[in-house]
Amino acid sequence: MIVASHISKYFGSFAALDDFSCSISDGCIYGLVGSNGAGKSTFLRLISGVYSSEKGEIHIDGEPVFDNMGMKQRIVFVPDELYFLPRCNMQRMAKLYASMYENFSYEKFYRLATTFDLDIKKKINTFSKGMKRQAATVLALSCNADYIMFDETFDGLDPVMRNLLKRILYADICERNSTIIISSHSLRELEDTCDQLAMLHSGRIIFESDVMNLKTSLFKIQVAFSKDYDKDTFKAIDMLHYQKSGSVATMIVRGNRDEVAALIKAMNPLLFEIIPLSLEEVFIYEMDALGYECNEVLL
Amino acid sequence: MFEIDRFSRKPIYEQLIEGFENEVICGDFKEGDVMPSVRALSQMLSVNPNTLQKAFQELERRGICKSSMGSGRYIAKGAMAKVLNLRSSMLNEIVRISYELKTSGIKEELVHEAVRRAYKNDTDVSENKEERKNSEG
Repeated sequence: MIVASHISKYFGSFAALDDFSCSISDGCIYGLVGSNGAGKSTFLRLISGVYSSEKGEIHIDGEPVFDNMGMKQRIVFVPDELYFLPRCNMQRMAKLYASMYENFSYEKFYRLATTFDLDIKKKINTFSKGMKRQAATVLALSCNADYIMFDETFDGLDPVMRNLLKRILYADICERNSTIIISSHSLRELEDTCDQLAMLHSGRIIFESDVMNLKTSLFKIQVAFSKDYDKDTFKAIDMLHYQKSGSVATMIVRGNRDEVAALIKAMNPLLFEIIPLSLEEVFIYEMDALGYECNEVLL
Repeated sequence: MFEIDRFSRKPIYEQLIEGFENEVICGDFKEGDVMPSVRALSQMLSVNPNTLQKAFQELERRGICKSSMGSGRYIAKGAMAKVLNLRSSMLNEIVRISYELKTSGIKEELVHEAVRRAYKNDTDVSENKEERKNSEG
């Protein structure tokens, strides 16, 4: 379990993270979404003990991470900018990782390298950008760490590789109850993968939720009546958004779908339809409700 | 085994529940059958194991499957009847759609005909369009 409480991190006078708090439970896939400069990478570097925070603390299973060798054994981080030893191949890198991670498994390393179709004897600097990412991912997964972090790793992979990586991560969760944190600037990238999503903006979490709850508690309703009606007709319903064009009204509603449906059906509508929202729409409306201009946060 | 539509607006969690219920209805999963493990299913369907776990919890709550220590998760007794019972509420959908059709001036006969066709497994709507085009031409 990762707990961050009220952390702030400054670069000069720029606050990369500003009174940032969150908790990530074990065995889940946690997604960090936000535009460039929102603080995603800074947060990941703080969790992995690369940075120390100016204010607040990060604890993993009750222990601080910074300068804590024992804890760092349990964390592996695939950063945005990858590091490989100069002119080396994956086999050499595996040796490096194995010297630092007690649980490093060569068996897993060979198996994953084969799955990703990577030549472990070829120099990494001859790899393409995507292959380098895959190489770093294979090395990280071979460490058998409890907490695995990917900084925009998914963004650089093609759909086939992404699907493959997802399945490998799912297996890892099943086998070892590992915790995975993925950052991305694209919500769509994380939508079908994560259990929990946090939206970052200007160094803060502005919105955090369980993906399942998000998609089931908010929905769009289209309705029309033969008689005249306006927004007040739906006083009993928790609406985030209301728009009427012609005789058809479109509403974004929060609540229990069956209860709301029963309520509206009782009004005898001419047309009545419930449409599930895409996660992107959910975020736009939720953020709108929080008073954020969505296009300044979402890309 | 069913597949997950990643581009659908329907949440994966709901697609999973519906998918398993469909397997029960069409008899691929029979009462007492042991269901594949979360691990195997997450690989097969490419779905987050936690989402699968939640879907199973809901299916257990609905009495469609049961899990016990040692023998894994299996299809509960009377699962088929339960799913059919849940699905019969879909009849309300027909009422709603029929009402919509009525208000847009479609004759009752045509609605009856449409239902009859569905029950004769004649659900290929595109072909029908073709036919109509031909008969018009």
